[in-house]
Amino acid sequence: MKRKHRYVRFFLLILVSLPLTGCWSSKEIEDLGLIVGTSLDLETGDVSSEEQQDARYANRDLLTITNQLITSETTVSGTKEGSLPEKAYKNVSETSDAVLPTLRNMLLKIDKRSFAEHSKVIIIGEELASTINLKQSLDFFLRELEIRPSGLLLIAQNRASQALETNEPTKIPAFQLVEMMEGHERTTKILPPMTIAKLEGKLYSNSSFLLQNVTAEDGEVKFAGAAVIDGKTKKLRGFLNEGDLEGNAWITGDGKGGLVKGFDEQSGSPIVYEIISMKSKIVPHVDGDQISFTVKIQSEGRIAEHWVLLDKASDNRFLKKAEKVFEKEIERLVKNTLEKTQHEFQTDVSGFGTKLRIHYPKVWQKIKKDWDQTFSEVPITCEVDVTIKDYGTSGD
Amino acid sequence: MNSSSKDKITTSQAVVIIINYILATGILTLPRASVEKVKTPDVWISVFLGGIVAMIAGVIIVKLSQQFPDKTFYQYNQEIIGKWLGWLISACVIVYFFTISAFEVRIMAEVTSLFLLEGTPTWAIILPFLWVGLYLISGGINSIARLFEIIFPITFVIFLLVAFLSLGIFEIDNLRPVLGLGVMPMLKGIKTATLAFLGPEIMLLLVAFMYPSDKSKAVKVVLVGITIPLLFYVITVVMVIGALSIEGVMTRTWPTIELMRSFEIPGLIFERFESFLLVIWIMQIFATFTITYYAAVLGLAQLFKKSIHPFLYGLLPIIYIIAMTPKNVNDLFKFGDKIGHAALILFGVIPVALLLISKLKGDKT
Repeated sequence: MKRKHRYVRFFLLILVSLPLTGCWSSKEIEDLGLIVGTSLDLETGDVSSEEQQDARYANRDLLTITNQLITSETTVSGTKEGSLPEKAYKNVSETSDAVLPTLRNMLLKIDKRSFAEHSKVIIIGEELASTINLKQSLDFFLRELEIRPSGLLLIAQNRASQALETNEPTKIPAFQLVEMMEGHERTTKILPPMTIAKLEGKLYSNSSFLLQNVTAEDGEVKFAGAAVIDGKTKKLRGFLNEGDLEGNAWITGDGKGGLVKGFDEQSGSPIVYEIISMKSKIVPHVDGDQISFTVKIQSEGRIAEHWVLLDKASDNRFLKKAEKVFEKEIERLVKNTLEKTQHEFQTDVSGFGTKLRIHYPKVWQKIKKDWDQTFSEVPITCEVDVTIKDYGTSGD
Repeated sequence: MNSSSKDKITTSQAVVIIINYILATGILTLPRASVEKVKTPDVWISVFLGGIVAMIAGVIIVKLSQQFPDKTFYQYNQEIIGKWLGWLISACVIVYFFTISAFEVRIMAEVTSLFLLEGTPTWAIILPFLWVGLYLISGGINSIARLFEIIFPITFVIFLLVAFLSLGIFEIDNLRPVLGLGVMPMLKGIKTATLAFLGPEIMLLLVAFMYPSDKSKAVKVVLVGITIPLLFYVITVVMVIGALSIEGVMTRTWPTIELMRSFEIPGLIFERFESFLLVIWIMQIFATFTITYYAAVLGLAQLFKKSIHPFLYGLLPIIYIIAMTPKNVNDLFKFGDKIGHAALILFGVIPVALLLISKLKGDKT
């Protein structure tokens, strides 16, 4: 009896050792290449391999994808003796006619196993965005499990791969871009971040939208306005500059902070208004077939800087005068933006359609198909109300 | 029926069993399934009404069971409509129970192999799950109820935590307008929403297990048991649509997991919040799997008036085979719809008929 038990125990011991083997499909971090950023470009130049030439002959568009990798070798810090690696990142590029095959072709070039769970940013080149439907070029990124929908999407003027380069060897450009995006909190010249998760809804609702635009030259990366994506074709339509973005932020009211620069009428000296809060209400009016909008903007803020020598900020008359100046300036920004979106691009990127959908759902059902067209002819008026709450530590 | 005192459950245990039964696949798929039907942001109203419909069905089921307080559905239905017809209905209910149990196992395997255990073969995910379930069920309804009591609070806390973490990407405009296109689109979603509330049917059996003094509270049990999942579902639908918008939800296979993957909270040590959700979700699937498995086994034992054990082991391979039948995810979802439709007839129509017949019979005698 006792002997029998011993066998049972022995058997159990072996059985127990099975689940104790630890992580079955683990991958050592030293062998991983963490993908932190990806750029997509349209390839128009010469091609070398047979596969690429075949695609050329068949008149298919060729993509060049650049992955920014962080590997155990690139992250060696100063503590280690010997020479530092040249850069803190490693960019790998490959060209083919669809996204995943291109990525897989990179296997032929790198020893690390690519791992995209920590991918932070996807940058699309101007040319690619204006020739290929975003739904198609981004399909892989929306489908693939390893790529998290919290990643950012940017458009690059010129080549997107340049945005993943930098002159400072210790910096990782992909992370830099993500951190720069946080500047949205302090200026209205940067759009609120558009993640892949939000993009999905935009792409399928056929509405036009904006994507943050980035320019890169000689290793210097800069945010410069926004790209207008047409809701119907899902291709790049054109660019808004930083000023237009400011106007757009006032229309949508989704800016978190920023400045308005006005000029005193008498002396022409600059007065700067810092936004504490901005609210906007887009009110649609429908009268028969006539659609119109009123944009009601309310803002509170403080005088952050003023060069006017004759006036004192502690004087209410000056504050009233300054409020008028800023109201005018904001109205000008809004008008400028609308001029561009309504007449130049004929796309609604500021959410007028959404408000119409919410307040007049039945009207919206009828006109949503050609909304961008309708939008370009809709009269929009603008009411701005600025309140200056304080003027910092100087009453002068 | 084994009426030994240890096979009794308290009122709160009965509530927890219903909650854990209802919460299952729906958490991950309800937002998509209902948005596909409704196509306006009014989905949450549909879900709400779906819950009310389930409550009505639940109350009818309880009223029926209260007519025969010490017997399970399998035993008393023969008294109402005769031996053969009763036998047939019992058989259908048993098939329903083990089919749904197989369905849950397969869904679990699909999600796990997609999100957690990439590369692990499906059978290797399913088999341990089945075995652990078998072990639990062999302890009877009491062990099941006690485990469910442990699972529920964990689910509750973690679910609310992850749901509210996603507030950062919530946009109220995605949920507006309310009833903008009238009530019609919203009504279209009620059936889909009701199907997410499969579960009150367990009261056909549970009333027999409740303490005699508690049996009168069975209506309350079913109402509370549905209200809590109702809140869970409404929160899920509101959060998912608020973050991803109607159009964004429609194209996602597992929208709720997508939501958890869609945000990062800087400063917090963890990322990958979907793993939290998956942990509680798998526990819920396990709960649904075991209770339906148990209901089927119990039915077989009572139908053939034999011990429960041979059926316990005999059903396991059948569940495995059914679970492996759907060829791909689309088939699997269609399979789930079919089970739902079967449930509408089995637990929407038949209990009403049985209740009427038994009332009429009762009046005569």
